[in-house]
Amino acid sequence: MNKWNKKMVKKLLAALLAGGLVLTGCGSQESSSGNPIPSAAGTSGAEAASPTVQKGEKTFVFGDTTFNSENEEANINPHDTYCGWAAIRYGVGETLFRFTDQMELEPWIASGYDQVDDKTWKIQIKDGVTFSNGKAVDAAAVKACLEDLVSVHERAAGDLKISSMEADGQTLTVKTAEQNPTLLNYLSDPYGCIIDMEAGNQNGIVIGTGPFAAEDLVTDDHLTLKKNKHYWNGEVKVDHVKVRTISDGDTLALALQSGEIDAAYGMAYASYPLFKNDYYAFSTITTSRAFYAQMNEQSGILKDDAVRKALAMGIGKEDFVRTLLRGYGEVANGAFPESFSFGRDVKAEPYDPEGAAKVLEEDGWIDTDGDGIREKDGQRLVIRWLTYPSRQELPLLAEASQASLKKIGIEVKVNVAADHNTLVADPSVWDVYAAAFVTCPTGDPLYFFSTHCLDSSAKNRGGYHSDRIEELARQMDAAFDPKERGTIARQMQQQILDDHAFVFCSFLKMSIVRKASVTGLDAHACDYYELTKDLDIEAA
Amino acid sequence: MRRKKNLVRLILTLIPVTLFLLSAMLAPYLCPFDPDAQDLASSLLPPGGRHLLGTDLYGRDLFSRVIAGGRISILSTLVLVGITALAGTAAGVLSGFMGGWIDALIMRISDLFLAFPGLVFAMALAAVLHGGVWGAVVSLALVNWPKYARVARSETLTVRKQTYIEAARLSGDSSLQLIFRHILPNIAGPLLVTATLDIGTMMMELAGLAFLGLGAQPPASEWGNMMSDGRSLLQTYPWIVLAPGFAIFLTVAAFNLMGDALRDYLDPTSVTGKRRGRRRKGRRP
Repeated sequence: MNKWNKKMVKKLLAALLAGGLVLTGCGSQESSSGNPIPSAAGTSGAEAASPTVQKGEKTFVFGDTTFNSENEEANINPHDTYCGWAAIRYGVGETLFRFTDQMELEPWIASGYDQVDDKTWKIQIKDGVTFSNGKAVDAAAVKACLEDLVSVHERAAGDLKISSMEADGQTLTVKTAEQNPTLLNYLSDPYGCIIDMEAGNQNGIVIGTGPFAAEDLVTDDHLTLKKNKHYWNGEVKVDHVKVRTISDGDTLALALQSGEIDAAYGMAYASYPLFKNDYYAFSTITTSRAFYAQMNEQSGILKDDAVRKALAMGIGKEDFVRTLLRGYGEVANGAFPESFSFGRDVKAEPYDPEGAAKVLEEDGWIDTDGDGIREKDGQRLVIRWLTYPSRQELPLLAEASQASLKKIGIEVKVNVAADHNTLVADPSVWDVYAAAFVTCPTGDPLYFFSTHCLDSSAKNRGGYHSDRIEELARQMDAAFDPKERGTIARQMQQQILDDHAFVFCSFLKMSIVRKASVTGLDAHACDYYELTKDLDIEAA
Repeated sequence: MRRKKNLVRLILTLIPVTLFLLSAMLAPYLCPFDPDAQDLASSLLPPGGRHLLGTDLYGRDLFSRVIAGGRISILSTLVLVGITALAGTAAGVLSGFMGGWIDALIMRISDLFLAFPGLVFAMALAAVLHGGVWGAVVSLALVNWPKYARVARSETLTVRKQTYIEAARLSGDSSLQLIFRHILPNIAGPLLVTATLDIGTMMMELAGLAFLGLGAQPPASEWGNMMSDGRSLLQTYPWIVLAPGFAIFLTVAAFNLMGDALRDYLDPTSVTGKRRGRRRKGRRP
């Protein structure tokens, strides 16, 4: 072989190797169900959309950024922190009552109720409801579940105020220690999922009444579900479900593109254009999930109301929603969206950087050394902003606020920490805590105030106190008339806004992105009804 | 002749490196916009017009951020390589020169550091140090010093046995004088080459830590964290990632080429030099 031929052979080998590598990179990959699917290169991932029907059995894989311990959803036991959200989202648990699309109550496991007097309620349990292990649900089973709930759950006892319960066949009589106009609302909170207490809790797996039964759970990784063959409310169409915890929004988008998952919750807005085509479908709805900044009133610098007021005036909410959320949000004034009657007619500080600068100047915060940051009595105006990454909007809010507050002479040091729950418990390490929270998951306004604003609130992390808020909360506790409750809610919102205890920035427009072949998976205003018996996958 | 060619090659490779260093040092004067200033109305503009490389999600000018990012990325890399080389060399020379239990102790400590996977160890250290550019620099320095210690020790052991060292010792030089006058100048070449070739690697490692959120913190522009910030936009607005990505690529390539050229210049008998020599020999009839 002469020299020229040798060179040609080498070049050919190199070309073949390079070609092989390219083909390997672009080649087919396994879908969630094991079927080979075409590459997701290009815009869609597309034909990956018909993956999950095999041997007559349907498997659905759902990717979720929020099913993790960071969001207090380490398992699906509703009696544990916020794990009830996972139980109800993934179709394992159901509550006595549920919310309609308009956030009005309707019976679910219960068939109805009678309010005997201010403190006594008789709840009828539907005949024919069973747990996923086949055991019938009666009043005694519900009583056992609720008794355990109020004894172990951090919020339930205070919310429900149950003093005693009596079970008689399918009738459960509940007595409350004091008037509780929102008892049924709170029973519809995800923590109110009815589970079989006799079956116990196997590593966070519980037996509920929903269309799916849990088989396997690995915290922060996955939850495997199978069809509940005993489901009381109709035929369940999908045989197997795998919920995958994918805490990173970008990874989630790639997983949907590649066909690893069939639907996604919590995707980055920037990725939405990739799925605006015939192969995918969006289900979008405005929720009461608020992105807000909570002030730490135990922090030296934020004891100063002028600083809190300047913060409230210095955060550009409209730009945040329009540009950074790509319009997938609603600018917030108070704690509730305007779709709720009690979300209207409250007045927050307007975005006014010049006004904010003036407020600070009048309070003695002046940039004396010309570095752009104000000082007072030798102290620089530096705010420690704590937030977390699993809600993709929060780091964006932090960085946008950092820039807009810098313009008025406030330096913001951002700490985006996955272990925010540990950090926020120590008020000496943060000044502002930015978080996401569904302020009205039970259709009633008291929930937000009782969790965040009272002396006894579990999430009153900043040590906020207001005599008026405490008094108004007592009034709301005793008010049965929804209009009166709405009026009190508006007063309470105005009070916390006037005290500059919170800055409400926006409300989430929640989207579930799914393959076009997936049906019966729709976003709900409460943000926690997701997988139902209607979930289905059309065969290719 | 070969040495002259190597010198020309070295000078040629120094040109881009010098340009990068100058841009890093003069960044505040070269940026057409404030690299940290947000302008949400100009969010995600494509390259061209007022913004040569486009804008990011916050409407910040990417050209300015790439230049400003170079200041952090290049200068912190140089500091990192400097610290690592100095600390490693000091440990290695001490180890090789003193021998005995000091040698054993230093080498066992370096073995301990080498026992961990480098980048994972650096991530853990950076997290303990609460991230930030200097946290990343310190963590990578702690991970990488044993390499220099081993090279320095090995070279010191070789040089120590040379007759001129014996002569210097007999003429009354103290240990410190021996190290600074005779050993360090004779082992500097290989160490310098190692350090130069390491600049690219260290820059990538620093960018990697920044990509993971363990480097420069927002709003500071650093090439690694710029890529991390833009990764969700890679498919829809690719210029946001490509701009810092190319900056890393070009800078690393420039420093690596300079490292190669420096090695060939300082040590013409190195592998590259030998191979070239053989090839040239083979071509002769």
